[in-house]
Parts: sequence; structure tokens; C-alpha cells
Amino acid sequence: MSIFDKKDETPPGSKPDFSNVRSGGSSTAPAAPLPTGTIGSGKTYVVVKGDSLSKIAKREYGDANKWRTIYEANKDLINDPDLIYPGQQLKIPGA
Amino acid sequence: MHTRLFGISILALTLAAGLSTACTRRSDNPGATGTTGTGVGVRVSQINLGRSLNADKTINDNTDSFKPNDTIYASIGTGGSAATATLKARWTYQDGQVVNESTQTIAPTGDARTEFHISKPDGWPTGKYKLEVLLNGSSAATKDFVVER
Repeated sequence: MSIFDKKDETPPGSKPDFSNVRSGGSSTAPAAPLPTGTIGSGKTYVVVKGDSLSKIAKREYGDANKWRTIYEANKDLINDPDLIYPGQQLKIPGA
Repeated sequence: MHTRLFGISILALTLAAGLSTACTRRSDNPGATGTTGTGVGVRVSQINLGRSLNADKTINDNTDSFKPNDTIYASIGTGGSAATATLKARWTYQDGQVVNESTQTIAPTGDARTEFHISKPDGWPTGKYKLEVLLNGSSAATKDFVVER
């Protein structure tokens, strides 16, 4: 076996990096309805074209860096925080 | 005469008791209706893996062996109905290192197919992987697969 045969293998003892894995999904079943109106002290926001989590965070909280708050509250809907879709109803905690 | 009538009565009573027991046993069998508790529920019936999907979200090319640059699709078959059911796909590598977790919240009204897919731009490390499907937080099924050159 030459060294070239092993060049892409993970070295023994080190763990591979899966942080860049992309994921998604869909179903033939209807999506479960989300609660409407206020949720606790928060509310829902319907994503429109051109939105990003940081834009929504800036609009709702006045701080784009709070995008993770929205992401954490919607992990069941958002697989990749860089990918949200028009029509998605996001929970906005504490807004 | 009395003896014959008595014998017929005993026979009739025995038959009636036997029929009653048989009917009771049939209705006591929980598998006969396929339901538990409230009479509604969702179950995972099937997991298939492959490199592409059909329009109905079934797998086009079932396999459990992939190449490093493949997008890996999982098609989860479910049966039953519920107002809300949460399916989670937990993908792990070798000794349990979590590769990805994705969740879908559905409101199934019968048989349904839910797909999850993962890809890695710089290619999957070769080795053994596992997909575990959790239904409402409880492990419902697993499927092993490998990535090889």
C-alpha cells in the first residue's frame, strides 16, 4: 500500500470534522401546525424572501447577533441556520 | 327421559361456555386492533437508504454502501395518525461520534414517508455509520451503512 492510498483517511486517534455537514428533509405527511399568536412572552414571524436569521434578529431584537436565540427556538424547523425559507413560521422568544 | 334431557342440557351449557370463552379471548387480544391507549399513534415501519429519492419520497436505489461524495438519503416509513409526531434522524460515525441530527415535526393521517438527507462537501470519511430514528424522543429503529472508496 502506498502513502497515497491512505492520504484521505482519518489518522488514528483523531476524530473527523463533521461541522460542515449539510442536512435537510421533507415528508409526505402534513407539517404539524404551529401555535399561532404569542408563545409565552414571544411571537411568531413568517419568513419572507430575502430574510436571514440575523436580519430577523436585528428587526426583532435590535441586535443581529441574537440570531442564535431564534435558531435555538426553532431547531425543529431549521436544519441549517444559513438556510431559512419563505413561509416558515419562526418562534421569536421574548420579542 | 329425564336422564336424556339432563344430558342435552349439560351439553348445551358446555358449548355455550366454550363459545363465550372464545369470544372473550378474541376481544382481549391487543394485536387484533393494532391500537393502544387512546386508539391513535404513529409507528416507524421502515427505513431505507440510498443516493436518490422518488417523488413519493421512497428511495430510488436502495443501498447501505456509499461513496465519499454521495448525498445520503434516508426514507422513513411511518404508519398511523397523530396531531403531532416528531421524527429525529441521528447520524453517527464509527464509535458514536454524532455526524448530524435533523428533526421533522409532522401530523400524519395514515401511511407516510419522511426523508432526511445529509451531504459533506469535502467528502465522507470512510468507515461505518449508523442512522438512528427517534420517534417522539424514543429510539424507533436503526440502520447501519458504510462509506467506502
